[in-house]
Amino acid sequence: MKGANMEKKTESHQHHHYILPTSTACAVGGALLVLTFITVWVAGIDLGKINFLVAMIVATIKASLVGMWFMNLRKDRRENAVIFLTSFLFLAIFIALTVTDLFYRGDVYVKEPWVASVQSKSRFKKPWVSTPELVSYGKTQFNIQCAMCHGAGGKGDGPAGVALKPSPRNFTQADGWKAGRKPTRVFKTLTEGLGGMPAFGSLPSDDRWALAQYVLSLGPVADQDAAADFAAIKVDPNKESAGEEAVTSIPVDVAIERMAVPEEKTN
Amino acid sequence: MSETSVAHGHHHAHHFESAEAEFEACKQGMWLFLVTEVLMFGGMFVAYTVFRGMYPEMFKAAHAKLAVPMGFTNTIILITSSLTMVLAVAAAQRGRKDRVLMHLSLTFLLACGFLVVKYFEYSHKIHDGLLPGGFFTNTELTHPKTPLFFSLYFIMTGIHAFHVIVGMGLMLWLAKRTMANEFSPSYYTPVELVGFYWHFVDLVWIYLFPLLYLVG
Repeated sequence: MKGANMEKKTESHQHHHYILPTSTACAVGGALLVLTFITVWVAGIDLGKINFLVAMIVATIKASLVGMWFMNLRKDRRENAVIFLTSFLFLAIFIALTVTDLFYRGDVYVKEPWVASVQSKSRFKKPWVSTPELVSYGKTQFNIQCAMCHGAGGKGDGPAGVALKPSPRNFTQADGWKAGRKPTRVFKTLTEGLGGMPAFGSLPSDDRWALAQYVLSLGPVADQDAAADFAAIKVDPNKESAGEEAVTSIPVDVAIERMAVPEEKTN
Repeated sequence: MSETSVAHGHHHAHHFESAEAEFEACKQGMWLFLVTEVLMFGGMFVAYTVFRGMYPEMFKAAHAKLAVPMGFTNTIILITSSLTMVLAVAAAQRGRKDRVLMHLSLTFLLACGFLVVKYFEYSHKIHDGLLPGGFFTNTELTHPKTPLFFSLYFIMTGIHAFHVIVGMGLMLWLAKRTMANEFSPSYYTPVELVGFYWHFVDLVWIYLFPLLYLVG
């Protein structure tokens, strides 16, 4: 009597839980295999952009079959279906917004004119002498190239610099400058790199001078360059700067950062 | 309240009203976990979309280096393993221990097969120098950004293969518990949830296969 009672309970318990019939499971599995054959077959025919669309539609049909039957979403509580499908909604938003940014930025990406402007002659006659113009141009370049590690205020506290040992130079302090606080020394460090500081020799010389003037302007008055300092970097301070052509193979990440700036600013 | 405890030794945790409430809570937890999985793989799919958008010709040339027959075989293997997993869950629901073990073994063997194919694919790519980033040494593909494709390929299929390995571990765990008679028609929650996990692994592959192998 007790045993029969137990059995009845088990049955009533089972009643809540849907068991997928073997025949249905095999039919769904078969449909998935057929769709796999179809997607491979269609991919073999060159339909241009339609190929991608077809592949994604077939994949989504397959995914729906797996979700609805194998994962039993069609009989599960509705809230579980909502939870799971919402993640795909957010993924769709993630993809859609990224794609609009990537393909519809339009002429913010100024490619050829920018390269041409880099290769032009120096805009500054004597960039080793600090001027407000140089410092302000240096600031725009600093925000693009350096702020990531050295921080927006030049205190060596940028988000990418936190993990660096030694930490990036704090430009607001006079002490600790390994190569000295003179424009030519900073210029040389920018060109060749120093310790953990990477080389930025791919930047036009104007930019490197402007950056040197800007970072020195952040701290106490900088030391004066002597004739020997100019000789060390092979610059004649009495002649006008000829500028220096940027190397044509600039790193892509630098290029993207640079190209994202409207053309007026880089010119 | 005899209904709250079930046969074969499983007692639901005291903070649940009933075994059914426990089952539903566990299942919902699994769905939430799968949501985090969707978003984790989602990030990689977005990276794929961005680089494919930036370098379409490179993707076209690079994807031709992947072996479609291998990817196709693995798709068939994973779909079949999803089917055997479904049958394992159904057998557990019916209390058919022998069938649970048989279907779990089949699923496990198919997962092994998947990894064997993956091993041949990876070793072929390594041999040809089709590797991510700085390890790329292949000279046939000339587009300078080609290593990016193989970074995506190895990271996406690698993390997927890691999920397969985790799934195999879970199957061994299920088999051990099945043999110890821990499951019954009234308690089979772990079998059901591992099933969900395994189908999700299949789901990811359903998108990876066409995106990487077929349309590049």
